[in-house]
Amino acid sequence: MNIAPRYLGRGSWLSRRDPRLLLVSLALFVFTVIQVWDLRILAGLVIIAALYYRSAGIPFRAVRIQWAYVLFFVSFVVIVNTLLTGGELRGLAEDELHIYFRLPLIGTPISAESVTYAIVQYLRFLSMAAVGLPIAYAIAPGDIGPAFARLGVPYKFAYGMELTFRFVPSLAGDLQTTIDAQRVRGYEWEKRGRTPIGKLTRTIPMVTPVTINAIVGAEDTIDAMDLRGFGTQPRTWLRQLAFDRTDRVVLAGFVLLLAVVTVLSFTGRTELWIPDLLVELAG
Amino acid sequence: MSTTYMESNRTDGTWDVTTRVIVYAAIGAALYGVLAFFSFVIPGTANVSVRPAFALVTFFGFAFGPIVGFFTGFVGNAIADQISGWGLLTSWNWSLANGFAGLLAGLFGVWLARTIPNRLLLAAVAAALAVVIGFLFVFTDIWLGTADDVSVAFTANYLPVITTNLIAAVILTPILVAAWDPLRDSMGR
Repeated sequence: MNIAPRYLGRGSWLSRRDPRLLLVSLALFVFTVIQVWDLRILAGLVIIAALYYRSAGIPFRAVRIQWAYVLFFVSFVVIVNTLLTGGELRGLAEDELHIYFRLPLIGTPISAESVTYAIVQYLRFLSMAAVGLPIAYAIAPGDIGPAFARLGVPYKFAYGMELTFRFVPSLAGDLQTTIDAQRVRGYEWEKRGRTPIGKLTRTIPMVTPVTINAIVGAEDTIDAMDLRGFGTQPRTWLRQLAFDRTDRVVLAGFVLLLAVVTVLSFTGRTELWIPDLLVELAG
Repeated sequence: MSTTYMESNRTDGTWDVTTRVIVYAAIGAALYGVLAFFSFVIPGTANVSVRPAFALVTFFGFAFGPIVGFFTGFVGNAIADQISGWGLLTSWNWSLANGFAGLLAGLFGVWLARTIPNRLLLAAVAAALAVVIGFLFVFTDIWLGTADDVSVAFTANYLPVITTNLIAAVILTPILVAAWDPLRDSMGR
């Protein structure tokens, strides 16, 4: 099990940006995208997200599992929403829909509106994932603490964030060791029960020792930090961060994007838009 | 006798942000992110990945206080999402819901301590209440567009997640407390 942070985007255009830019850009982009249901505007946002992701230089081969997970999860969200809403999408009543057919048994209408809604959901999540993924792979692991601290997060919590990212690989190693040790004893956690409780209880022999060992082992870290005077006064960071002109331009672009979409949203111009082609297919 | 900062930094106040709080919070969040690999999807639900490791959120909140619980839930869920590829902030409201559950587990652990003297039972009750109340925040999915209306948010998001998280939290939190308490006493914490 290797889930150590991989700096896959090292040397790329995005990795040379101030790490705060990646964090702020994602927040701005998420708040932009969640306001948009109009496929035409969303297409523009998807292009921006794709260009942004491309600038991180992350090899697809290295993250294809992550993308497969995203696609699976988004499909899940879209299908369940389509099935459970029973055709009532974004305030549209059933008699307003252009229906193709109804699903057997549950009778949910599949319409031009529901297909558009599904496409919009896909694009919204995929674009957010594209802008979010570079945070994991295009920020140098050592820059995480200073980035959060310079964003105004209290320095203790910023250091906590950095500690979290540092603990992940070692705890993953401990987990693998525990799994191997249990396997040597003949315990196969993969043979999970069928019920949720059965599945849960199969993980107890892994979860409990890894957790308790991690807590007991944390004493060394606590003592080391206390001995170095952690918490006595605000911490300074060796790594100095500074926005350059390019960073400012990119940041201004995302701010502008959010402002424009917010105005469009307040004036009702980001609502669900159904392409004529899909309406015509309904006959 | 004057008290040095280092001594005052080791107090047990609920809202004190000490070195111990920061390290336990980081350990909790990292563990949640790592152990989230033990996850399985409940068929028929949207946006709900069931993680037995969720019990760490309520355990860390209960054992080490509301700040540790909030950090473990909020940052741990975000990191688990990031590691899986979903993205650090894509489901930020779910991360916050996890954080609130951890925070409430810590608060209920303190508030109900006199009412429920049995510590393991207290852990289970605090965890259960924290899950039921903390995850009400996932109804923000309606505003974010992930769920189209209240019935979808309730049926596809809230109900499955509290059901499965309740199972994980009510069973695992007391087990972890039972494993940790003797060690804590022997370490003099």
